[in-house]
Amino acid sequence: MKHLAVTLLLLAVAPLVHAVDAAALLHEVDRNLQPESYEMYRKLINVEPDGRRKEFVLYSVKKGGDKVLALFLDPPSEKGRSTLRLGDNMWLYIPNVGKPLRITSLQSVIGGVFNNADILRVDFAAEYDAEGLEETSDGYTLKLKAKTATVAYDRLVMQVDRKHHLPLTIEAYAASGMLIKTLRYSQMKDFGDGRLRPSVLETDSPLYKDYKSIMIYASIKARDLPDEVFSLNYMGRVDDLRGK
Amino acid sequence: MKHLVHLVGVVLCPCVPLLAHAADDFSFDLSAYAAPGPFELHGYAELRQEYQGLDEDSPLYRLNFADSGRDALNRSIAALELSGSYRNGESRIAATWHGEQQHDELADHGAGRLYELYLAHQPDAGTTVELGKRAVKWGKGYAWNPVGFIERPKDPNDPELSREGYVIAAADFIHTRGGDLHTVAFTPVLLPVTAAVNDDFGQETGLNAAAKLYLLYRDIDIDLLWLGNGSRPGRIGLDFSTNLAPNFEIHGEYAYIHDHEQKVLDAGAMITRSYDAQTWLLGLRYLSERETTWIVEYYHDDRGYSEAQMQDFLNRVDAAPDALLPPLRSVGQTGYTRPTAMQDYVYLRVAQKDPFDILYFTPALTAIGNLDDGSWSLTPELLYTGIDDLELRLRATVLHGDRLSEFGAKPNDRKVELRLRYSF
Repeated sequence: MKHLAVTLLLLAVAPLVHAVDAAALLHEVDRNLQPESYEMYRKLINVEPDGRRKEFVLYSVKKGGDKVLALFLDPPSEKGRSTLRLGDNMWLYIPNVGKPLRITSLQSVIGGVFNNADILRVDFAAEYDAEGLEETSDGYTLKLKAKTATVAYDRLVMQVDRKHHLPLTIEAYAASGMLIKTLRYSQMKDFGDGRLRPSVLETDSPLYKDYKSIMIYASIKARDLPDEVFSLNYMGRVDDLRGK
Repeated sequence: MKHLVHLVGVVLCPCVPLLAHAADDFSFDLSAYAAPGPFELHGYAELRQEYQGLDEDSPLYRLNFADSGRDALNRSIAALELSGSYRNGESRIAATWHGEQQHDELADHGAGRLYELYLAHQPDAGTTVELGKRAVKWGKGYAWNPVGFIERPKDPNDPELSREGYVIAAADFIHTRGGDLHTVAFTPVLLPVTAAVNDDFGQETGLNAAAKLYLLYRDIDIDLLWLGNGSRPGRIGLDFSTNLAPNFEIHGEYAYIHDHEQKVLDAGAMITRSYDAQTWLLGLRYLSERETTWIVEYYHDDRGYSEAQMQDFLNRVDAAPDALLPPLRSVGQTGYTRPTAMQDYVYLRVAQKDPFDILYFTPALTAIGNLDDGSWSLTPELLYTGIDDLELRLRATVLHGDRLSEFGAKPNDRKVELRLRYSF
């Protein structure tokens, strides 16, 4: 009877132990990918089925778990546009319009497979709970569930590299269980300050057959900015942060 | 043989970029971006070709085109907009210049305007001071802005066009504190009106004061706005915007204008009526699963003309002998012939992103309905931005309504426009 009780207790506790490990791993993945507060330069490329490409260059800053601001530097037609995310709230600033408009995580300010949630990504742990962790031959499979219905993807299945504790692939699913897109990280690069992480993120989607989008990270540096930078009134002045 | 080599070269030429892309490893040279220089210049050059089908039976055709005898008008427009800035430490000088040259069968016309030229100083992230000509844009509405107290009116047919600013002195103070009241920002503005500065803003009264208080409270954007009595009648306003669901946004604006003065025809003479006016807007923006964006706005403005007032003006144009048309043209310019000059409107825009898997292609349909007289305009549009730095837009507009209704009385009843814009 005593053995049975211990066995039942262990069975009951085992998922909790896994859940804790999964949450800790998720936090580790977040910090290994990027500092909590940073500035970043990256290029986004949309590739059409016939090979034609359209490129966008973005300067981004992030603070804490849920504040991200991005400025378009290229192409010239998009120059000066900025996007701000504060938790679930997102805005787009277009210089000619001169004031921020609310946008949603499901839209894409650049077209292509990346949506606004991908472009203005906050920490995974800020949006998802780690629900499960499985060990595989290469590392781990993390199963993540969105904390609220406002998150762009209902579930993520993340393959995590055993050595570096960094994501290799992420499958993003809708609440219906439909696969929305697959994200693949590649090309490890030293970004300085001991940060070794993938420099390329590629995505495709069954919803955009034969299209793909690529994100190339060129620079990620820890930078702590005042909270006031992450506000609507600052969206027209983001360029002032560069080079300082 | 030489011709054959040339022909092969021409045929293969379009493939060269594709081959280059195939070999590309998606590199990104940061050096062009990481250290921005103090000077920056960008802008666009634009060519527009317009065809207007004129309605020879309409009252405003009589007012504006009666002498021309034309039933159509073809117009070519070349435009250039340059934006530049110079940065030094915490300060920045920025300018925008816009110039247009247009030609049609009746006249040639060209003009260049400095839209903005201002100095901005930012001692810290939460404080900015600006001095100079600046286009300030207030409000949450897409097609109209009842709380746009210190800006030139927006064209609801093309709301995203840049607009000329006014000479102002302004400050912006931002305070972020987290919690339910996440952000507070205060923007005071001073706007002088003299014979030489901002003379088209209103009466010469010296200095006008305005202010905006922005709050981000529990995921709701809220602005409280004020313009002191001066060159324009004093007014207060409020606007808001929030997401009811991730893909469903609601916004609104309200303004109360004290002692608004309206110039209106009364028994054939222009009189000035003074009254307190209210104007407001309520709008929704919805994004469907198929990435169709719907924008719907209802707009009311007490300052607009009633159906009877507009019909009185149009009837007078209809009945006037030719000699009386020039004074009636001046009357029209006081307000009757401006865009959306009446009181109640509905705006609808439906835009479909990337239909048929064509990336960067956005067909859209825009409708503006005058709820007072039942007239309307309908504008289908095709937009393609898939070629580097180029934007192609083809739009057609059809106007419909009774002869003495707002859209029915316009001098044209259809218009087609092709716009080619190159950004640099």
